[in-house]
Amino acid sequence: MTLALWLIKAQFQTRFTATLLSMLAIALGVALGFAIDLINTAALTDFSRAMKSVQGEPDVVIAPRDSAASVPLAVVNRVARDPAVSVIAPVIEVRVRIIDEPATVRLIGLDVLTAPTVMPDLLPRQSAEIPGNLFDDGVYLSRALLARLKRKAGDQVTITRGDATWQTRISGDVPATRADDLIAVADIAWVQARFGPLDGVSEARIRLAANTDIETWKKSVAATLPAALIVKGAADEGARVSNLSRAYRVNLNVLALVALLTGGFLVFATQLTAVAQRSTQFALLGVLGLTPTQRMAQVLFEAIAIGIPGSALGLALGYALAFAFTRLLGGDLGGGYFSGSAPTIAAAPLSILIFFALGCAASLIGAAYPAWLNRTQPLAAALKTGFAHRPPRAHKRRCILLGVLALVALSLSQAPAIAGLPFAGYAAIAVVLVMGITAAPLATHVLFSHLSRYNLPPAQRIAVQNVAQAPLMAQVAASGLIVSFALTVSMITMVSSFRVAVDTWLDEVLPAPFYARSKATPLPQAALDALMRPDAPFAKRESAAFSSLTLDPSMPAVALLVRELNRDDPGARLPFTGPVITSPSGQTVVWVSEPMAELYRVVPGQQLRLPLLGRDTDVFVGGVWRDYARQFGSVVISRSDYEKLGGRFEPTDLALWPLAGQDAAAKNWLADYVKRYALEFSESAEIRRLSLSIFDKSFAVTYALEAASMMIGLFGLAVTLAASVWLRARELATLSALGFDRAMLTRAVMFEGLMIASIGLAIGLACGIAVGALLTHVINPQAFHWRMQLHVPWLVVSIGAGLTLLAGLGASRFAARQTTLLPAARVLGGVQ
Amino acid sequence: MLVVSGLTKRHPNAPRPIFRDLNFSVLAGQTVALVGESGVGKSTLLNCIAGLETAEAGSVQIAELNMMALAEAARAQLRARSIGFVFQAFHVLPTLTVAQNIAVPLLLTRVPVAQHALRVETLLDRVGIKDFGVRWPASLSGGELQRVAIARALVHQPQLILADEPTGNLDPRTADEVLSLLLERCREQNTAALIVTHSAQVAARCDRVLTLTPDGLQGLSA
Ligand SMILES: Nc1ncnc2c1ncn2[C@@H]1O[C@H](COP(=O)(O)OP(=O)(O)O)[C@@H](O)[C@H]1O
Ligand SMILES: [Mg+2]
Repeated sequence: MTLALWLIKAQFQTRFTATLLSMLAIALGVALGFAIDLINTAALTDFSRAMKSVQGEPDVVIAPRDSAASVPLAVVNRVARDPAVSVIAPVIEVRVRIIDEPATVRLIGLDVLTAPTVMPDLLPRQSAEIPGNLFDDGVYLSRALLARLKRKAGDQVTITRGDATWQTRISGDVPATRADDLIAVADIAWVQARFGPLDGVSEARIRLAANTDIETWKKSVAATLPAALIVKGAADEGARVSNLSRAYRVNLNVLALVALLTGGFLVFATQLTAVAQRSTQFALLGVLGLTPTQRMAQVLFEAIAIGIPGSALGLALGYALAFAFTRLLGGDLGGGYFSGSAPTIAAAPLSILIFFALGCAASLIGAAYPAWLNRTQPLAAALKTGFAHRPPRAHKRRCILLGVLALVALSLSQAPAIAGLPFAGYAAIAVVLVMGITAAPLATHVLFSHLSRYNLPPAQRIAVQNVAQAPLMAQVAASGLIVSFALTVSMITMVSSFRVAVDTWLDEVLPAPFYARSKATPLPQAALDALMRPDAPFAKRESAAFSSLTLDPSMPAVALLVRELNRDDPGARLPFTGPVITSPSGQTVVWVSEPMAELYRVVPGQQLRLPLLGRDTDVFVGGVWRDYARQFGSVVISRSDYEKLGGRFEPTDLALWPLAGQDAAAKNWLADYVKRYALEFSESAEIRRLSLSIFDKSFAVTYALEAASMMIGLFGLAVTLAASVWLRARELATLSALGFDRAMLTRAVMFEGLMIASIGLAIGLACGIAVGALLTHVINPQAFHWRMQLHVPWLVVSIGAGLTLLAGLGASRFAARQTTLLPAARVLGGVQ
Repeated sequence: MLVVSGLTKRHPNAPRPIFRDLNFSVLAGQTVALVGESGVGKSTLLNCIAGLETAEAGSVQIAELNMMALAEAARAQLRARSIGFVFQAFHVLPTLTVAQNIAVPLLLTRVPVAQHALRVETLLDRVGIKDFGVRWPASLSGGELQRVAIARALVHQPQLILADEPTGNLDPRTADEVLSLLLERCREQNTAALIVTHSAQVAARCDRVLTLTPDGLQGLSA
């Protein structure tokens, strides 16, 4: 043990920079992973807590599958009589607007007797100045809303939704709501009278009697309910909240793991050179009686001595990073799943332990091969001539292995998602990277044995001969570059493919020059009428309404888009990915989005049963269209079909085509309405710009993680190239004693570095495009249900390659100059 | 102490063995000089005895154990316990101090830590570099380094010292001093020694001289 400590200390002193770099790389990997985990967990907890605050914690919820429908009162009354039900709280929730306030407000109608048990956070407080009892009259506003409106209890407010208005008084506040909730609470009967629905409620939230088995009860009740209603348990809700962002979170975690693995690679490079450099010392220790296992353990000890402080530092750094991030930017990492709140960071002991272990594991994995090499070094030879690594010349076996790996990767890429996550795809990526590493020795062998046939200057020729004979360090340097360059290229390729696809898609889905929408509340009829008047400066207007359908209680709901489009020519408005089929018998036709088709296995031409408007309706799937906006699926139905089914078309969104040459006039004309009804007006160019900037923001963290991996990879390249030069200090000194000057030696070493970097870049590029294709064609469709074409951004890739070459040349030059700076006599006469 | 019997060594791909069927023994406390032309296989023989290289046939008995029959880890442990090695090229660990270098064999043989300092100090004194313990190897001359190597070979009181041209890199006077030291200490500790040398003077000061020739060992009965 003492000896191990002595050697570790000596090692850290002599190779301070490389050791520190690998420690920092491990720390960086752990920090990124831990920070992402902390932020995501905090955001998720925060999100569910916000959800619970409004929904309370009912055991079971009965809700309509179609958000435009309702739970009939008859059902509520019948379920209320079930002996297992202890409390049933009916709720009506509508999106409304308060005059003079642009934001949308959730108006929640509660029953004063049942709400306190199920939704304690929504319980209002009667203001002392207002006479009467709770819910006698008026609305109660959350503190955030009161602050925004700058009103107080006793003031009048006008609440509107579409054409309905309700003039009433603020009777008090809702003390337990969260700081940013814009919520108004009123008696359920008042809300129903003003805004409907008259024959039902939005949801019935149920508390069951103690010792009722929730699952069994849920199933038995579901059997008695109409198919258009759904019975959700608390577990479904948790799963749904988690599913909402799961693929995104897992993807970020995988990226962070990649950063950690590159850290492990740096440990590999450091420990390999450490082993090579000290081969004589280890051989001596072997002669003195250190067993092979002890020699191997020593290398692993050193790795753990890098891993433990690295991981600890990483945990601290990750915590600080997460803390700063949530303070400055809130809980959203760019995916848009958790916007608007600054959650509290809390580290669970388990995740601390996991990330600490991951950091240590990365260092140990990195050191495994060097440790094994150290174990198998022949003592007598190592004492005489130093580090010996005779690579097996099994090139044929390697080629076969490459073929097998390619087949494995190919079949993994065809495998389906597991639990909605593309694990096979991630595995395929790993296999492709392994292929790159396997190909590195082949490529070095082919290139350098080929080069040795050319008539190179003597110094270069010696360098080439050196790599051909002792290719290990060159292979390591090339492998590191292969992995980090491949990952970078693949990321850039994926994001660029996505961006190009989104760009074209935006063109297709934004045909009109102007858009106006009234957020979640329907547009008032007066505004719609005004638009239709002949003097309105518009050539064409199309409106759309939105609601949502819950097809699976544990999944986020599918969006239902009711649009004014020609049901015989939907292709004019929707970007279809395949054929458009007309329904055979004039049946109701819908067009599903790509994610919907993927998630619910829907194909064009099939019949689909949808819970539309409170009853199951058979519809015909006319085609699949591209939708990059709604990850969990959407269904488009034409307004005419929707109304034929008995639906009320209450549009919230408008697409407007001004008369030719009257853009400015149209804008002026609209300004008045925009102001009066608090509409959101935007031009298509603006929406485009905004969408693309949201897109870029959502990949900012991805870019940051990739940049970190690439940086670590470049460090790895520099460290390995430099070390491979330092290892040959004696050889270089001998050459300079023979008459080679410093410039010749430097050029030779730089030539060697250039060749190695080129191998790494070439294989890295090939692997990167393969991995980019996997990300684009396997990971994206499986995790996010988006498909797109591959698009390699050659310019950016070439710039990256150029910079890497420069870094490689720089490292070689630096190492060569450092090494040749030492007087040859000192190197040659130095202590072994 | 050391019994070598039937030892045959052939390098892989070599047409014929370097040596064939060597038989000799070294008694406890006996000092033996091994001489022979360069390239005849002296270092190879020493490596085989120490278990650093494997031989084709034969046995090497050290302290009642057959080195050739042991697994690699057990060979290393046997070396740690029973053998001290001195090389022509000194071979000290540049990153450990002189005292730490000398203490390495003690760490490998589980000698109680309390005794280390005393043993190292004593040996430093005995090999004539009393105050060198805290110095780094890079600041020592060749002769001093070889004294460190001798101290390291003796510190754990092995039964056998193997020395491969221990004075080959030193000037004649220093060589003489270092060798006297080695022989004295071996006799003092009753340690057997097998010393490869080209020097007739050195050979003359040993108890026995063995000559390795391509045809085998000579001087067995001397
Ligand atoms: N790995 C090896 N493969 C083939 N021959 C070797 C190997 N190592 C040493 N030899 C040969 O073995 C012979 C003995 O070498 P060595 O024991 O070092 O001689 P000495 O120490 O007597 O000068 C030499 O001829 C040398 O060429
Ligand atoms: Mg020799």
